[in-house]
Amino acid sequence: MKIAELYVDAQLAGRPEAEAASRRFKVPIQTVGSAQEVYASVAAAKDPIGRGKHVLYLTRNRGAFIKSCPGTHHYTCCGYKILHIGTFCSMDCSYCILQSYFHPPVLQYFLNHDEMDQELEQLFATRAIHRLGTGEFTDSLIWEPWTHLSERLIRKFAGQDGCVLELKTKTAWVDSLLDLPHRRRTILAWSLNTDEVIRTDERGTTSLDARLKAAARGADHGYPLAFHFDPIVIADGCEADYRRTVERLFAAVDPRHIVWISLGALRFMPELKTVIRQRFKHSRIVYGEFIGGLDGKMRYFKPLRMRAYRDIAAAIRAVAPGICIYLCMEDDEVWEHALGFQPAQRGGLSRMLDEAAVRQCHLSSGR
Amino acid sequence: MASECGEAAAIDPRVVPLADIDLGDERFRITTQRESGDLQASIRRFGLRTPPLVTPVGAGFIIVNGFRRVSACREMGWKSTPARVLPTASAYECALTAVAENSLERPLNLIETSRALNLLEQTAPEGRIPDADASALGLPTHPSVAVRLKLLCRMPVDVQDGVLDGTISFAMACELSRLEEDLGIAFASLFRRLKPSLNKQREIVSLVSEIAGRENVDPRQVLEECGLTQVIGSPGTDRNQQIHGIRRQLRLRRFPSLAAAEHNFFVLRQRLKLGAALQLAPPRDFEGTGFTLALSFQTIEEVVHLRAKLDELIDHPDFKTLLTGKGRGFEKALDS
Ligand code: SF4
Repeated sequence: MKIAELYVDAQLAGRPEAEAASRRFKVPIQTVGSAQEVYASVAAAKDPIGRGKHVLYLTRNRGAFIKSCPGTHHYTCCGYKILHIGTFCSMDCSYCILQSYFHPPVLQYFLNHDEMDQELEQLFATRAIHRLGTGEFTDSLIWEPWTHLSERLIRKFAGQDGCVLELKTKTAWVDSLLDLPHRRRTILAWSLNTDEVIRTDERGTTSLDARLKAAARGADHGYPLAFHFDPIVIADGCEADYRRTVERLFAAVDPRHIVWISLGALRFMPELKTVIRQRFKHSRIVYGEFIGGLDGKMRYFKPLRMRAYRDIAAAIRAVAPGICIYLCMEDDEVWEHALGFQPAQRGGLSRMLDEAAVRQCHLSSGR
Repeated sequence: MASECGEAAAIDPRVVPLADIDLGDERFRITTQRESGDLQASIRRFGLRTPPLVTPVGAGFIIVNGFRRVSACREMGWKSTPARVLPTASAYECALTAVAENSLERPLNLIETSRALNLLEQTAPEGRIPDADASALGLPTHPSVAVRLKLLCRMPVDVQDGVLDGTISFAMACELSRLEEDLGIAFASLFRRLKPSLNKQREIVSLVSEIAGRENVDPRQVLEECGLTQVIGSPGTDRNQQIHGIRRQLRLRRFPSLAAAEHNFFVLRQRLKLGAALQLAPPRDFEGTGFTLALSFQTIEEVVHLRAKLDELIDHPDFKTLLTGKGRGFEKALDS
């Protein structure tokens, strides 16, 4: 992470985290009365999205820390909960929805952790099984080198039995997490892709090998793991490339450490297409065979998605037949064609994932 | 500046030898019309009602307004012409006068507006047209509109001609301006020949550019391979059919799997011989899961007939294939 400007909410001036960030990034603290001042500075740049990746705003989360994942009723959602720790990302993937999600996008990191803790305590008190993740509005581990947030969260989750935290990343920054007492209540998760997609469309992320090496180290320290083939980019010859990625995954990681593997084909809001074409001149991902999905997003023509899922799932099952594989935001027809069953036949996707978490992370509910 | 120009308009009416007027100096030309045949007839019948406006440059004159009148007089064999001479005016004053006189004569078309904006901007003292002048002349003052309009008169002649004859809209001209010149010209020629609607023009441009991106080839190659360049040079064939053919070709190449599934679906549906009263439609782009069956009828007898037809349909093996083969784009269905 390279920060060119550091803004701090006036109400949080003097917080040690701000001083630490200022020292680490060697930039002065600029205190602001409102987020608008930060947005104005970012919006004035020639490439506000690129600029937003170098502007850090330390502030309070004024909304809820725990949110339900916004599913749609046309496609099956996994019933995940988002733990909202901050926004945006210092890496730069062409397909990243965060580019058009926030206007303008800016690296925001929330400091009101006491309120976050309270919300977590309330959730833990339900003693039901919940799956939470921090990697929805940001990458879970980009904050790692200069905050102790993951440590705080890992320790917190280790102290209860019903909830599991998934830290999803494209970095390899696990060093500071390895020796923590996690009690398997934290899943370390990586997005995986082919070397080609990583090279052309995931600027600033770590290589596939580095991700897998980090995962293997996590497994060595007892962490449960998860992997997300998301987004799957469908192009000529992609099946063979994804099969090779699967081979490399299992060459690095024993499937017994894996809680789940998700598959999700590239999908995006139509507005993102212009952003990708402007910001990633050499990317070809927008030229896939996309149609307008029922949720308003551009999606690959259904038979293409089915074929890709079927192929990758078969490669995974060939090595790890019992592993929990799920599809991200797809309908029953796709599930049936790709995986040979519909979630409802196994009690629904939420239940499938809860059960996988119970098995692998030794969760238990009080209900 | 506008009022100064108004005050400075001490125009001197004179008779000027036509040989002294440099017709080749078009720096103040606004009009897009070149023909002067109609003017000759008018001048012969009614005389030169409004003499051209010229300004001295060196030993002769250049035209500020009245290019077609000077041409007509020359072509009629006149040796001299009555003229209004604008003495020693600044370039910006001349430009203002040229635009003002042209826009008084008729509403300026898009290319003329573009020329007017460029001319004024190039001659304005600080390189910026004062808003008061622009609005007094009826020119757009909104910066983003003005910027796009200014591009028009710098575009290739084929694109400008398309804008003038109404086959290419301002919006499309702006899109073409972002392409390499010869590609823009190729599209302009195609659109001028086939006159597709703006939406279809947009679709064609975007499909060609996306196919080029998808296949990593030059868009000119796509034009060539999809037969667009041949269409430009082949007169006669039915325009609508040609537009339809081009769009089909491009779609087939841009969305090969989707286009193949559509084709397979249509073939299978044809085999069902549903007739006009029974219409079967797939989910849009085959994404959803619901098919639609529409029945049209006027009488009970027709409904009875439809009922029989529906019974037949339910037992038809191709109907089942249609409903179950969607996920594979119906590819296997046609093999059987
Ligand atoms: S790593 Fe994730 S959050 Fe970061 S840019 Fe890529 S897609 Fe966006």
